[in-house]
Amino acid sequence: MHEMSVAMEIGRIAEMKLGRSSAQLTAVAVDVGEDAGIEPWSLEFCLEAVFATPPFRGAKPQILRCRGDVLQVAWLEVDDERPAD
Amino acid sequence: MSVRLIEVRERVMARNDELAAEVRRTLGAHGITAFNLVSSPGAGKTMLLERTLEELGEALDIAVVTGDVQTQNDAERLARHTSRVVSAVVTGGACHLDALQVTTALDAIDLGRTRLLFIENVGNLVCPAGWDLGEDEKVVLFSVTEGEDKPLKYPKMFQNAKHVVLTKTDLLPHLSFDVDLAVRNARRVNPTLQFFRLSATTGEGLEQWYDFLRHAVRPVAVA
Repeated sequence: MHEMSVAMEIGRIAEMKLGRSSAQLTAVAVDVGEDAGIEPWSLEFCLEAVFATPPFRGAKPQILRCRGDVLQVAWLEVDDERPAD
Repeated sequence: MSVRLIEVRERVMARNDELAAEVRRTLGAHGITAFNLVSSPGAGKTMLLERTLEELGEALDIAVVTGDVQTQNDAERLARHTSRVVSAVVTGGACHLDALQVTTALDAIDLGRTRLLFIENVGNLVCPAGWDLGEDEKVVLFSVTEGEDKPLKYPKMFQNAKHVVLTKTDLLPHLSFDVDLAVRNARRVNPTLQFFRLSATTGEGLEQWYDFLRHAVRPVAVA
């Protein structure tokens, strides 16, 4: 039930990390422990809703199951629209 | 285009926990003991607080923050039993209180003349378990009209608490509820839990609860 609050906080963390960068967020990975009290499918659904809303443009959530009560943003994938080296 | 990964490794609850630590510092600086009351809906949190405010509201300088998804009904009920402001948080859909809401709610409370703070959380045995509000401890209310297996179904809440209040014990003669089994189940998930058994309707068992509260508040400093 509280997955939406968690998803919104993840959105806030992503915004903070991106700062003023114009890079587009394309994926967000979240470590979710078995004892974190989080339904992975529900969190994924909520994250899709959060990242479909500006300033985001449809970043794909990725839930990484792990042990314990871990609940953390693992990494962000961004496209900074610079040509590849 | 060039795609790159940014390593984050940031705990989702980090901001809430920082705010909760700030609440804890503020309450500590004022010598306030704080209990976060949690339970399923209808277990009797408001009723127990009504009786508690009547009996000890003045003596222990009790202040209350209530949380409900909609309405301020609980705050209005409690306000009839105290001259103090009852600070209501309407979560507008959220299933729990968070530390930011408590921080805001405390603005309405005169902390200088408060020794005991109750935070009446949203009725829900799942979500409030994960949010630290800066309290000294969570107290779970468990009514005897529920199933004895509630602690097994919702272990996190019982693991995060130190005390369980079995409520509505006046109804026991009419129910098949097995108190010993309920206590055993709760201790299976948290062996150190302490129990109160009471009825806010008849007053049975309230004295032990009141004694616990009297001992929980910090003594008034003598000038």
